[in-house]
Amino acid sequence: MRLLLVEDDAMIGEAIRAGLKRDGFTVDWVRTAAAAAPALATEPYELLLLDLGLPGSDGLSFLKSLRARGTPLPVLIITARDAVADRVEGLDAGADDYLVKPFDLEELAARIRALLRRKAGRRDPHLEHAGVVLDPAAHRVTRDGAEVALSPREFAILELLLERPGAILSRGQLEERLYGFGEEVESNAIEVHVHGLRRKLGADYILTVRGVGYRVRPTP
Amino acid sequence: MSSLRARLLASLLGGVVLVGAAGGWVVYRNALAGADAFFDYHLRQTALILRDQPVEYLLSQQIAPADAAYDFVVQVWTLDGARVYLSRPHTELPEATTLGFSTVTTAEGRWRVYGAQALTRVVQVAQPMSVRSQRAAELALRTLAPFALLLPLLALLIWLAVGHALKPLARLTGLVKARRAHSLEPLPQTPLPEEVQPLVAALNELLARLNAARERERDFMADAAHELRTPLTALYLQLGTLARAGSEAERAAAMKELGEGVQRAIRLVEQLLALAREAPRQSAPHEPVALEPLAREIVAELIPLADARHVDLGLGTAQPLTVSGDPDALRTLLRNLVDNAVRYSGDGGRVDVAVETDGAGRATLVVSDSGPGIPPAEHARVFDRFYRRAGTGPPGSGLGLAIVKAIADAHGATLTLGNGADGRGLRVVVSFPAGPAG
Repeated sequence: MRLLLVEDDAMIGEAIRAGLKRDGFTVDWVRTAAAAAPALATEPYELLLLDLGLPGSDGLSFLKSLRARGTPLPVLIITARDAVADRVEGLDAGADDYLVKPFDLEELAARIRALLRRKAGRRDPHLEHAGVVLDPAAHRVTRDGAEVALSPREFAILELLLERPGAILSRGQLEERLYGFGEEVESNAIEVHVHGLRRKLGADYILTVRGVGYRVRPTP
Repeated sequence: MSSLRARLLASLLGGVVLVGAAGGWVVYRNALAGADAFFDYHLRQTALILRDQPVEYLLSQQIAPADAAYDFVVQVWTLDGARVYLSRPHTELPEATTLGFSTVTTAEGRWRVYGAQALTRVVQVAQPMSVRSQRAAELALRTLAPFALLLPLLALLIWLAVGHALKPLARLTGLVKARRAHSLEPLPQTPLPEEVQPLVAALNELLARLNAARERERDFMADAAHELRTPLTALYLQLGTLARAGSEAERAAAMKELGEGVQRAIRLVEQLLALAREAPRQSAPHEPVALEPLAREIVAELIPLADARHVDLGLGTAQPLTVSGDPDALRTLLRNLVDNAVRYSGDGGRVDVAVETDGAGRATLVVSDSGPGIPPAEHARVFDRFYRRAGTGPPGSGLGLAIVKAIADAHGATLTLGNGADGRGLRVVVSFPAGPAG
C-alpha cells in the first residue's frame, strides 16, 4: 500500500515514514503542498496523509483544491490544530478522518487500514479468498487455518491481489504500488515475490495472465 | 485623618467656628463701645443730679438701689478732701477726685469715675469697668448663642452633603469590588463627578495596558503550547518506531532519532524560556558593554557547532565599540544570530561576525552567512514568533529571531536584513542607537 505523506517537520515525517513501513505501508514523503500536487498526479497512491500547518500553501486549501478537482483519494488529516472548529472544518473540507498530534503510530496505522477498507467497500477487516485469510492489522496470513510466513513484499503483493479478487494487476501496477520514491526496483523483483507466494500458498493460487499480469485463482 | 468626609467636616466646621468667633469678637467690641457710651452718660447724669442735691438728702436717701446691678458708688468729698458720704462700702474705692471722666485702677479692678463739683463739695460717681465688659459679653453671647446651638445641625448637614457628594466614589468602589479577578474591561466614566474622572481615566488606561499585556501573554502561551506539540509528536512517533524496531540496526537508528528529538524539544523549551525572560527584562539596568570581547566570546562558544557542520566561522572587523545594554541579553542576541547563520549556511559554508560603525556612526553587530538567504518579501515575518520558512533546512524552534527582535527592541536597536557581500546568503545588521556610551 503506497501512501503520500505531506508533513513539513523533518522528524515527524521521518518517524511516520519509518513507522508505517513496519506496518507494510510504502510512504512517500513530501514537505509542501506544492510538492504534493505533482506526486499525486503521477503516482497511484491509496491514501493521503496531510498536515495542515504547512509552509507556503496551507494544507486545508490544498485539500479543498484537491476535492474541487474531484480527486476521490481518501485523506487523513494529521495536525496539531485540535479545536472542534478546526476538526469540523477539516472534515467538511473533504477529509475522511482527522487525527490530532501527538498521536500513536498504532492508531495512525489502524485508521489508515480502516480508511482503506472503507474505500474498498469492505466491512470485514480480514481479506479472505479461496481458503486464504489475510489480516492487515496483525500482518498474518493463514491458509486453511494454518499460518503462512510471508516476507513484507510478498504480504503486500497478496494484499493488493486480494483487495479485488477478480482484478488483474500488471507488474508495473504492482511495482508502482509497492515501491516508493527512489526505491530501486530490480527488473524481476515482482516475479521473485510471486514465485515465493506460489511456493507458500500453492502453485495455482496466483495465476499469470500472459502479457497482462497477475490475479488470484477464482473461487470454484 | 484619612476619611475625606471627616476631613471636610472638620475643616468646614472649623471654618464656621472661626468665623463665628471673629464675629463674636466684633459684636463684643461694638457692644463694649456702646456700653461705654451708655454708662458714661449715666455716670455723668447721676453725678450732675446728685451735685444739686443737699448732702442731707443723700444721707437720708438710699440712692440707686434699683441700679444695684450697675454697681454705682457715690462719694461726696469736701473741698478739703474729706469724704462726707459713701453710698455703700467697697473694700477698695477710687480715691482720685478728678473732675469729669477718668479711669482709675484699684486693687479691685478698673473703675470709671465721674466727678462733678458743687460749691463746697465734689460729687463723684464710680462704677467698676467689669460691669461694662459683662454687659458687652452678655450681649455678644446673646447674639452668638443661636449660632452655637445650630452648630450640631450644621455639622449634620455637612456630614450628609459630603456623603451625598461622595456617593459616586462609593458606587465606583462597588463596581470595582464586584469585578471578577480577570475582568479588565474599562470602568464606566459617565455618571462620575469631574474630579473623579481623571482617576477613572487613569485606571482605565492601566487596565487597558494590563489587558494588552495579558492578551500578549495568552497568545504566547497558546503559540508555545501549539509549538511544543510538534517536537512532542515527533518524540511520540520516534518512541513508537523504537518499540517496533525489528533488528538491532533499526533499534540503533531509532534510538539516535529519538535522541535528536529530545535535543530538539529541549532546545525549543530553552528558547521559549529565553523569550519569556526577555519581556520583563526590558527594565533591567543597562551598563556599558564592549561589543568586541562579546563577539569573540560567542564565536568561540559556537566554534564546536560550526566544526560539526563544516562551517568556517570567524570574526572579521572588530572595532573597540561600547554600547549601553544588558550584557546577558546581548550575548543571547548574538548567540542566536550566529547559531542561525551556522545552521543555515550548510556544509562548507562561511559565517562572519563583525563589530563596526555604520555610515551614521552607530555601533553595529553584523552577522553574514553563505546560506540560502531570505527573500525580501519574508523579511518582516521572520521575526514573528514560531515563523518557519517554507522549504528545507534544519528544524528550528522558530523562536531564534523572535528572541533577537525582543532583545534589539529592548535596547532601541534596529535590525536590518540583507544579502551577503557577494549577493548571496543572509546579512543581519544590529544597529545600536548612538548614545553617550556608544
